[in-house]
Amino acid sequence: MPSFEQERFENGGRRELWLSLLFLLLAGVLIALPSRAQEQVATALRSTVLSPFLLMQESLVQTRIRAEDVADLQERLDAAAATLAAQSTLREENERLRDLLQLRERAGPDFRSASVLRSGIRGSESMLLLDVGGRDGVAVNDPVVTAQGLVGLIRESGSSRSVAMDWTHPDFSVSVMTLDGGAFGMVEPRSGAFREEDRLILTGVPYYTTLDPGTAVVTSGRGSVYPRGILVGTIQELASTEAGWMRSYWLQPAVRPAGVNQVLVLTGDPASGSAEDETGLEGLWFDPEPEPDTAGVGPDGGAR
Amino acid sequence: MRPDWGYRAILVALPLLHFTLHVGLGLERGAPDLLAVGLLLLARELRTGTAAGVGFMLGLLEDAFSLLAFGANALACTLLGIVGSRSRELFLGESVFFLVSYLFLGTWLRGALHWLLSGDEVRSGAAVSLLINGPVDAAYATAVGVALLFVTGAWRTDPRN
Repeated sequence: MPSFEQERFENGGRRELWLSLLFLLLAGVLIALPSRAQEQVATALRSTVLSPFLLMQESLVQTRIRAEDVADLQERLDAAAATLAAQSTLREENERLRDLLQLRERAGPDFRSASVLRSGIRGSESMLLLDVGGRDGVAVNDPVVTAQGLVGLIRESGSSRSVAMDWTHPDFSVSVMTLDGGAFGMVEPRSGAFREEDRLILTGVPYYTTLDPGTAVVTSGRGSVYPRGILVGTIQELASTEAGWMRSYWLQPAVRPAGVNQVLVLTGDPASGSAEDETGLEGLWFDPEPEPDTAGVGPDGGAR
Repeated sequence: MRPDWGYRAILVALPLLHFTLHVGLGLERGAPDLLAVGLLLLARELRTGTAAGVGFMLGLLEDAFSLLAFGANALACTLLGIVGSRSRELFLGESVFFLVSYLFLGTWLRGALHWLLSGDEVRSGAAVSLLINGPVDAAYATAVGVALLFVTGAWRTDPRN
């Protein structure tokens, strides 16, 4: 290591001490800032000094996506086309029956496909940086999903990027129900000894309702954040019981955030659904009292 | 003798490389903590207040990606800068053994400080963080940091020592 000059504390020592204390104080202030202010500082840094690094990862992710195996994509396209062809008669029949019952068509949710950018920096757990933002129609509290199920929701939306928190975040909670609508409850994260051991817990299940392992748990649509019918996880085992009152169950999460590279951001406004809504989203976002035989996920992955 | 410019250039390049590997290339935990290595080496070249300022700025940049423990990196790196700068008073090491020990302990200390400053909701168990992940991460960062210094020729032991 090259040599150095000893600091002359008899001359500048006091100034250095005050300077050190000032920076320590500033760092302390950062920790004490309200979360809104912290997010503003973080956004400012990400959109200026750190922007080149994020742009580099964005371009790398895009390149990787473009370089995906074409044959694999073709295979998936063929499979999707075959499924669609097989369902076309069912669809016609469904439309006819809907006409007879005078039911309106339900539109699928609006969504934006997004790539997940990762920083891998200490403290960035539970956070997903997405390459879509306000100009793509992404707003705060939009749900983030994959084909496997719920990932989290948008926490902060910039013009071209957004920050999402996944379900491992301590603030995450979602109102859920079983697929048959037989039990409702709230799902929250519980951290494990390792990040990989983080899992979900379903609380508030009535004491006399028992759920078998493997039972699918989906969003209930209550709370006007998450649309109904997104898979959250499956029942793993009983966590605890409050005698005569309620039960809690451990859930096997449907999605492990660490393995997520591509997500969908659902951009519709779940609270705006109404009978007169021209978007036709009524019943998709808001159906707080599901009928047991109609609740759940349709064959297209959307809520029925 | 003042440090040569090649050495200083490497010290500045280490944090840049850190962000390139972690954020630019998205290598996550596959990339070493070169920010701590760069800060530890820089701190020994700077006055205490300046080292604290550099640590604060570098930590703040890391905190831009931290939803759960904002400010923890800034405070940890500020403290690390101060400790690194003040370490000159205690250790006048110029040997490879000193370099390796200094970087290993400093990088581990950085992780430990961040663990302490993060909230209960964020941090995993003390044993896992401080006794398993911490030493492994520190050893990895030290090995890569020392290798970089030797490969680039930035490290030259003073022949007088």
